[in-house]
Amino acid sequence: MVLIIVFVFIGILNPATAKMIPWMFEVMADSFKELGMTVSGMKIDAMTSWTQFFKNIPMALIAFLLIFSNSFTKEYQSGTLVLVLTKGLPRNVVVLAKSLFMLISWTVGYWMCFSITYAYNAYFWDNSIANNLFFSAATWYLFGLLTVCLLILFSVLQNNSGEILLEVGVCVIVGYVLKLIPVTKKFSVLTLADTAALLAGTAKPDSYIMAIVISLVLDCICIGTGVVCMNKKQL
Amino acid sequence: MHSINILSIKNLKKSYGSKEVLKGLNLDIPEHSIFGFAGKNGAGKTTTMKLVLGLLRPDEGEIYVCDKKVSFGQTETNKYIGYLPDVPEFYPFMTSSEYLQFCGELCGMDESSVKARSSELLELVGLAGETHRIGSFSRGMKQRLGIAQALLNSPRLLICDEPTSALDPIGRKEILDILYAARGQTTIFFSTHILSDIERICTNVAFLEEGVIALQGDMSTVRGTYPGNEYIIETVLDGDADKLVKAFPELKAVNRNTLVCQEDNGKLSQVLRYMVDNGIPFYKIEREAPSLEDVFMKVIK
Ligand SMILES: Nc1ncnc2c1ncn2[C@@H]1O[C@H](COP(=O)(O)OP(=O)(O)OP(=O)(O)O)[C@@H](O)[C@H]1O
Ligand SMILES: [Mg+2]
Repeated sequence: MVLIIVFVFIGILNPATAKMIPWMFEVMADSFKELGMTVSGMKIDAMTSWTQFFKNIPMALIAFLLIFSNSFTKEYQSGTLVLVLTKGLPRNVVVLAKSLFMLISWTVGYWMCFSITYAYNAYFWDNSIANNLFFSAATWYLFGLLTVCLLILFSVLQNNSGEILLEVGVCVIVGYVLKLIPVTKKFSVLTLADTAALLAGTAKPDSYIMAIVISLVLDCICIGTGVVCMNKKQL
Repeated sequence: MHSINILSIKNLKKSYGSKEVLKGLNLDIPEHSIFGFAGKNGAGKTTTMKLVLGLLRPDEGEIYVCDKKVSFGQTETNKYIGYLPDVPEFYPFMTSSEYLQFCGELCGMDESSVKARSSELLELVGLAGETHRIGSFSRGMKQRLGIAQALLNSPRLLICDEPTSALDPIGRKEILDILYAARGQTTIFFSTHILSDIERICTNVAFLEEGVIALQGDMSTVRGTYPGNEYIIETVLDGDADKLVKAFPELKAVNRNTLVCQEDNGKLSQVLRYMVDNGIPFYKIEREAPSLEDVFMKVIK
């Protein structure tokens, strides 16, 4: 356990930045919101603010993925990973420790972002106007979690950050296409990122259960496959 | 005494795509030896070492470290091994003692022994007073830290991949001295293409050529394999050398006034008589034992 914590602690270089970025995006988003209010003079309430939140959070996710995309590759390339492996650190610990760190970072970053918005909104307006607020936030969180797991899987498989990001992107596109086809729509995890209808109260949380289950299963598959592939990776 | 093999490789094969790098390599490293592993660039030295560390998957063959089979992807046998890669890289934001501390925790050493061992090793490699972060280290300093981290858990086998190739002559000598000083604690297996390094410290040597071990054994046996002692004759006058070559075609002219005579053709006494009879003055006549380089050249021919 100490070992995992130590590895988590030093394994990734940018923990501070990673935590800062979602927050910075949030600050920026807020200032945009305020700008939008003065410029267009449209009616602003908690609902608009939450719509903004779900529009801005993908940027935070992309930034997060960019930052962590070289978490594995830079260790492959510089050879620091080889050294710790030859010191007797089991390979699966490496994957699990790094995964844990990324998942915790995403969780902390995302919910921090959410609470800041929530606090602002509660202060300025009234959060109760948004339906299923926590549920929508949770579905989006799960969507983010899945992309992070995909990132981990591809990080194990690939040696190049660009390819890793590309492959995560391809997966998202596949999910998007699945969502467009009516038959498979129910199974596409991308519906998790569709929060507008939930917020407006026109969609029922029940209809998301399938996607939630699938995403959780995929999370486990990604990490599990990652561990297995790491054991088979030539370094 | 030399009956225990700390590392033994049997019929190891490895190819990258269609390129066959190792074609049935056999190697035994006796305990307490300093084992030099020589081969040209691209001969497969690094590949062999990574296979021993379980970082690459062998196509065929077996590797035993301390009589335990190495299985690819697992790190179990690595606890007997200290490894210094060809270009060691560390987490740049740590200092050398922090890094050793971290390594100690990875191998499950307790804190006080890590402290004692790391200060001892930093002393040995000459980084004791260094408090800067590794990011600012020079190549030679990283090489030293690399040796320190490799020796940290008192491994039974120390594997060094070209520990000296990027260093200046003084740095090279210092690294060799460090390795030589470590010989009492461990068996050392190091690769290099600088044969004089092997001559300096090794007790055993193996030549890797065309994916197999062309020759291996302890230093004196290897040198004895190709006896070919030579005599070098250096004349005072340039013309005399030509005269000698005309009289004895088997002499080889190395330059204008230096000739080489092979010991085994029995011509030397005749050459000497000819020189006395004709009053040919000379600077020196010297017997030269074959260097490892000569042996290597013959092996790879
Ligand atoms: N990952 C790889 N993919 C394809 N070919 C490789 C790979 N690694 C090494 N090779 C090839 O295998 C051969 C042996 O490489 P290796 O690094 O083991 O040589 P080496 O003896 O360590 O050489 P050097 O003295 O230059 O370090 C080389 O010809 C190289 O081109
Ligand atoms: Mg090499």
